[in-house]
Amino acid sequence: MTRASVLCLALTIVPVTSFAWQQMDHSQHHNMQMTGAGVVMNENTDVLPRGCDAISTEHQLTVEAGREFAADIPGTIFGMNVHEWQVEPCSRITVTFVNRDEVRHQWMVHGLPKYLYPTGMFHIEAMGGQTQTGTFIVPGDDRNYLVHCDMAQHMEKGMRGQLIVGDGGGDLWGVQGITDAFYRFSYLPDKSMPIAATTLITGFLLTFFVLRIMKKN
Amino acid sequence: MRGFFRKNALWLFALTIALLAFPPQWYPYSARLKLTAWFGASDYRPLPASTSPTMGEAEIFCPADVPNWRAAQTIDGVDIEESLPCVADNPYAVAAFVRGTNNVSPETLRSSGLTSDAVVKGRDLDGDGDPDEIHIRLEVAELNGSSPVSADPVTKYSIAPGISPGLWVFAPKFVGMAVENFESNEARYSLRLPSPAIRIEQGDRVFITLENTHYMPHTLHLHGADHGFVTESGQGNDGMPLTSELPVLPGEARTYELSPRHAGTMYYHCHVQPHVHVQMGLQGLFVIEENRPNNWVQTMNIGAGLVRAPSQAVRESYDHEYDLHYLDLDKELSERVQRYNDPRLITQSMHRDYDVTDSTVDYFTLNGRSFPYTFRESLLAAKEGEVVKLRVVNGGSKGISLHTHGHKFTVTDRDGVTLPEAAQSPQDVVWLSTAQRVDLELRFENDGLHSYGPGIWPLHDHQVSGVTTDGIGPGGNLSAIVYSDFMDESGWPKTRGVSFDQYFTAEYYRREVPVWENYAPGIFAEPGKDGALYWRVLLFALSLGVAAASLFMRLRRS
Repeated sequence: MTRASVLCLALTIVPVTSFAWQQMDHSQHHNMQMTGAGVVMNENTDVLPRGCDAISTEHQLTVEAGREFAADIPGTIFGMNVHEWQVEPCSRITVTFVNRDEVRHQWMVHGLPKYLYPTGMFHIEAMGGQTQTGTFIVPGDDRNYLVHCDMAQHMEKGMRGQLIVGDGGGDLWGVQGITDAFYRFSYLPDKSMPIAATTLITGFLLTFFVLRIMKKN
Repeated sequence: MRGFFRKNALWLFALTIALLAFPPQWYPYSARLKLTAWFGASDYRPLPASTSPTMGEAEIFCPADVPNWRAAQTIDGVDIEESLPCVADNPYAVAAFVRGTNNVSPETLRSSGLTSDAVVKGRDLDGDGDPDEIHIRLEVAELNGSSPVSADPVTKYSIAPGISPGLWVFAPKFVGMAVENFESNEARYSLRLPSPAIRIEQGDRVFITLENTHYMPHTLHLHGADHGFVTESGQGNDGMPLTSELPVLPGEARTYELSPRHAGTMYYHCHVQPHVHVQMGLQGLFVIEENRPNNWVQTMNIGAGLVRAPSQAVRESYDHEYDLHYLDLDKELSERVQRYNDPRLITQSMHRDYDVTDSTVDYFTLNGRSFPYTFRESLLAAKEGEVVKLRVVNGGSKGISLHTHGHKFTVTDRDGVTLPEAAQSPQDVVWLSTAQRVDLELRFENDGLHSYGPGIWPLHDHQVSGVTTDGIGPGGNLSAIVYSDFMDESGWPKTRGVSFDQYFTAEYYRREVPVWENYAPGIFAEPGKDGALYWRVLLFALSLGVAAASLFMRLRRS
């Protein structure tokens, strides 16, 4: 079977029901390299995305992940050494993902073209203390891709980044240390609302008396 | 005199309107009697007509078993029993739990979704044909948590239609995403309530590594299971932060050890801030099976329920074995992980603001679901003549009064210890206090005592709050014993009562649907509103307001 037909097969069987993981998984065996140290899924070292005539640039990224990278970012628990990467369109990117924790972490890119990356995803997963390396080629259009760890609450508690291709297509919300959270707690001091109300009344009364005095004079 | 009227006309007029507008049905009793004496009873005014409820379309009761997980099958030499209810466990995961994730074929491992180190089975130390070195890995996951970029709960898990409380669970170690697929927000089948039942053999040399993938500190405490206070290397082994060790911080791992000399149904849970963490779902059944030759036990049972590859000792005396995990939840606690995303705020809210001594419980689950979802996966499928073993734990903060319709069961063991023969007599209610376990023997023998014959016989907590979901019934931990003649091909019971349609809508559990609407539509429906009376009340209020203001101005002027 050629690589292309395997990919087509994978695309036709991709989830229809919520119980489809098994079928989907069978179809993806050819794209998943799994060892005791981790997983690289949908690796692509040589097939060019549509619109790319050649590999434009080679990038070697080393991404470290773990709790230590959240230490300096308030309100997060997990993190990466870098949360934003920028590459030229049609770049080939080799990611070395270093897991500094004792538990699993992932580096997952979403929204890639589905004809090349089943379900639009390139995924590296490293077991605790392990390093995994994988390669993929980005398409030719300017766009921002979500990069995250899809373990429950890891993205929400810090492991959320973006991969900018070319000039990008606009920043994503909530990228760690790069853009703000879309839903942000106020962190106002206690009793802020009564104090604000008192301030409003103070402003009113002050203006009232000042204007009155000015009028009298 | 004319001047008086000119000056007072407005308030007098407005007050007259107000008095006329005041609804006669609210006149004082004595006034109403007097009026009745003069004018007789009022004319008939029909009560408002019933309104029809707005109800969403019912969910599919019994989702199709696309991958054929229900059927009996043999995978990598492991015989896996048929599971009759609609939703069954992944048989490849069952096979991997029995053989060990290091001993199954790569195809089986991939189809299970487990990592190769999830359950590692090593040497046969006593030479009786089964592995005795077992290394289990547990991760920790949050379900229905918050997100800085989404208002909906993430890694979604519903215990009933429209009900997705924040939960923390121990989980088997799986490869890949936390959600079902790439377009979905639904938690993968391995991430669910309750934490998996763990099964080992008496005398096994067991290592359990807690890999803390969650954002809070946790430990593992093996309640009732024979374990040393310290491991061989001298590390704390009791999981109790006050006396044994420091908690396992996020991203860290710790290995606990045990080699239990005594068999029985035990329990495990996190022991960090237990009044919060245990209640959030960090607890599971911990079963120690008796030592037998060739005893390959199913090391984990995801979501508890039917044990599809039972141990040798259970096979000797029983046809089937079930794990039943009861757990109640307090929504005022569980919503706190959804209210904030900053772990510092969550920690404050859960561990300082929340006061468990003022708490009430709202949801009642059996194997992680409430009715009607219990009917998808927690029915006990019965065949006449069979004998089944139920291992039951009550992980909730309130006791449960477990009752079977149509059957009397026998409590054979309590808290993992077999009761003396004389204490084993049939009964139809058993009380389980918090953390208590009982082993029940249920005989489907139509003798008028053990069973009254084939049918669909409910199984539930007889404390009435337990069969509700936040006070709406039917809900809670209601399940049933269903004989084969009363179960259809898909695993759904052939009920002969009311339609389940409304119970499979979120609206019903949001209190928006009249409870008997499905079989007595209209009669007990929501009454319409009295529009005429409403306008009359508004006119009364307006004219009284006008009267008061004009009287005030009048008095001020004079």
